[in-house]
Amino acid sequence: MKQPDLLKHTDQVNEQMARYGVKFGIYKNNVFKEQLFPFDAIPRVIEHNEFGILEKGLKQRVLALNLFLKDIYSKKQIVKDGIVPEDFIFASSGYMAECEGVVPAKGIYSHISGIDLVKGKDGTWYILEDNLRVPSGASYPMIARELCRRSSPETFRDNRLEDNRNYAGLLRWTMDYVNTGGHTVILTPGRYNAAYFEHSYLAEKTGAHLVTGSELKVENDRLYYISADGSMEQVGAVYRRISDEYLDPMNFNPESLIGIPHIYDVFRKGNVALLNAPGNGVADDKGIYYFVPKMVKYYLGEEAVLNNAPTYLPFYKEDMAYVLEHFDSLVLKDVAEAGGYGVVFGSSMSKEQKKDFIRLLEKEPRRFIAQEVIDFEDLDIMDNGEIVPRKADLRAFVLMADEPVVWKSGLTRFSRNPDSFIVNSSQGGGFKDTWVLYQ
Amino acid sequence: MAVLHFGYNMEISYEEPASRCYFTIKCIPKEDARQHLLGMDISILPESGYSFGEDSFGNRQVYGCVEEPHNKFIFQISGDVKIIQTDYEEEECENRTGMYRFPYGKCIPGQGILNYYSLLDFTGCNNSLDICMYIMDKLYKDFSYVPESTHVQTTAEEAWNLGKGVCQDYAHIYITLLRLAGIPARYVCGFIVGEGASHAWTEVLYNGKWTGFDPANNCLVLDNYIKSGDGRDATDCAINRGTMWGGGRQSQKISVIVEKNS
Repeated sequence: MKQPDLLKHTDQVNEQMARYGVKFGIYKNNVFKEQLFPFDAIPRVIEHNEFGILEKGLKQRVLALNLFLKDIYSKKQIVKDGIVPEDFIFASSGYMAECEGVVPAKGIYSHISGIDLVKGKDGTWYILEDNLRVPSGASYPMIARELCRRSSPETFRDNRLEDNRNYAGLLRWTMDYVNTGGHTVILTPGRYNAAYFEHSYLAEKTGAHLVTGSELKVENDRLYYISADGSMEQVGAVYRRISDEYLDPMNFNPESLIGIPHIYDVFRKGNVALLNAPGNGVADDKGIYYFVPKMVKYYLGEEAVLNNAPTYLPFYKEDMAYVLEHFDSLVLKDVAEAGGYGVVFGSSMSKEQKKDFIRLLEKEPRRFIAQEVIDFEDLDIMDNGEIVPRKADLRAFVLMADEPVVWKSGLTRFSRNPDSFIVNSSQGGGFKDTWVLYQ
Repeated sequence: MAVLHFGYNMEISYEEPASRCYFTIKCIPKEDARQHLLGMDISILPESGYSFGEDSFGNRQVYGCVEEPHNKFIFQISGDVKIIQTDYEEEECENRTGMYRFPYGKCIPGQGILNYYSLLDFTGCNNSLDICMYIMDKLYKDFSYVPESTHVQTTAEEAWNLGKGVCQDYAHIYITLLRLAGIPARYVCGFIVGEGASHAWTEVLYNGKWTGFDPANNCLVLDNYIKSGDGRDATDCAINRGTMWGGGRQSQKISVIVEKNS
């Protein structure tokens, strides 16, 4: 890999990113703080053949998850056939009864999926989690690549890597495919949202209007964009970066000030597309994760190409026994939490904590999953001029229109702390560009 | 079988003018194997555009937006409903029963209800219907009807610990107990002959049919009840839901009439 020239420009690229406002907002003790999302110039490189396998497995996974969502909000055949216990549907906080019987435009639920993977030391890729609600992160490798190309054009001439500048085009294609007639908008909660940079960047790159809830309005079962001169123009697709709960105070959380009253009623009547569809949380919680390879088999009749990390469900008696016996070697995750929260390593608990945790586990077995700790591959990063190894994962983006397409790039996040496995940006990690090589 | 005439009037007054108000009203009698709407009149003041729709529980809704400043919002509906049968089957119900079997929303048991449940003695109950009758009777004795002792947001557990409540609380506690006993149960909102306000009761799924129980009156639901909606708890089928700009404090006047046509 020829990249020494690129490394020289790391500081310059980071400075430009700061100037472009590539920031990540976090709330800590109710105070909003923006921090830079540190970029490391050494890319993660994925060989052509290796990516081919990822691509196959990711497409398969996203197809199956979409079929699962369609099934869950209608006939629930997979439950009737005994593949997924109904506890994992109806007792899941992600299940929304309000979505029963509502079929989104073209039957697509997860238009933009962010699938998190890690590579084990043995070279095997494992799926860590699926994000089917409002996965963020694509904008970071997009702008990083853009700035790196500017700083060091030779790098991109001398290496045989896939161009990742097509993300905006893919996203536009995905939005247009389900648009029911009218404008396409990106709905942001506003300036103080953690991913506001991304919302504005994607709007600029796709040519969609960036709007807040107060610029959209429902009238006569249609959704309208109110333009600056007060005229109203119909909207046919909303790439919403607002969670289901806050989307519509008349149908979901009545306290929401950032949503659009009755937008869900318009959606229900098929007069607007929402990307992603509401209700997807039932398919991406950590409890349902266990069942995804079974879904692939059930809906597609194929073996899953990509493995889950070995996972146990204390809900099942045999699994509970295994978890209790191997407690110290497992990582335990609360199914309702996200963003690296609610994750504890058995080995890091004191005797007292362990006792309390096991009591909780026995009381609410459905609330937790246990996984083998994967010894995942380290990637090199530059730390004060020195190359050091750090844990990293990969968020791959799969866009779904008439067929799923895997973006030939992705967001590689790494932990800056040498002892940590947690790479989430909300917990202070950094990111890298992801290079996919062509043959 | 009976034909009932009903009227529902709601008047919301604002302390200051509201500049805009979105509303969703779910009080059009549900259309199913139990009952059939023979005709209705709706009026909304101030006059505004509105739409009809159906939510995911099959409840019919009227929704829209008032865009002029107003101090009062008035909704009136009247019509005739034919009650066809009291135990009835429902299309597609099999796909959704799961949602009526798990704790949800205002029907999540806390320590109070769990303790009460553990004291119930089902000896002598041969089937689910016996259990429903037994729990209803027991609850009727152990909980008191006291108007205005709770509010719309009160949960089953809160009401139980208070020891008193209104029809909504009876229904919530009853549903919570039935679900603990493994019986699918749902919350029903509607109107009954001879009561000036809306009423709440419970439906239980048994042998593929929904049967109504009225825990606040300790009786079975017969053909003098009109269903407006149902759901997992009161929130799913709340008659009125609104979001307004301005308005300040508001007060609500509701009147209901239901009469048997002879």
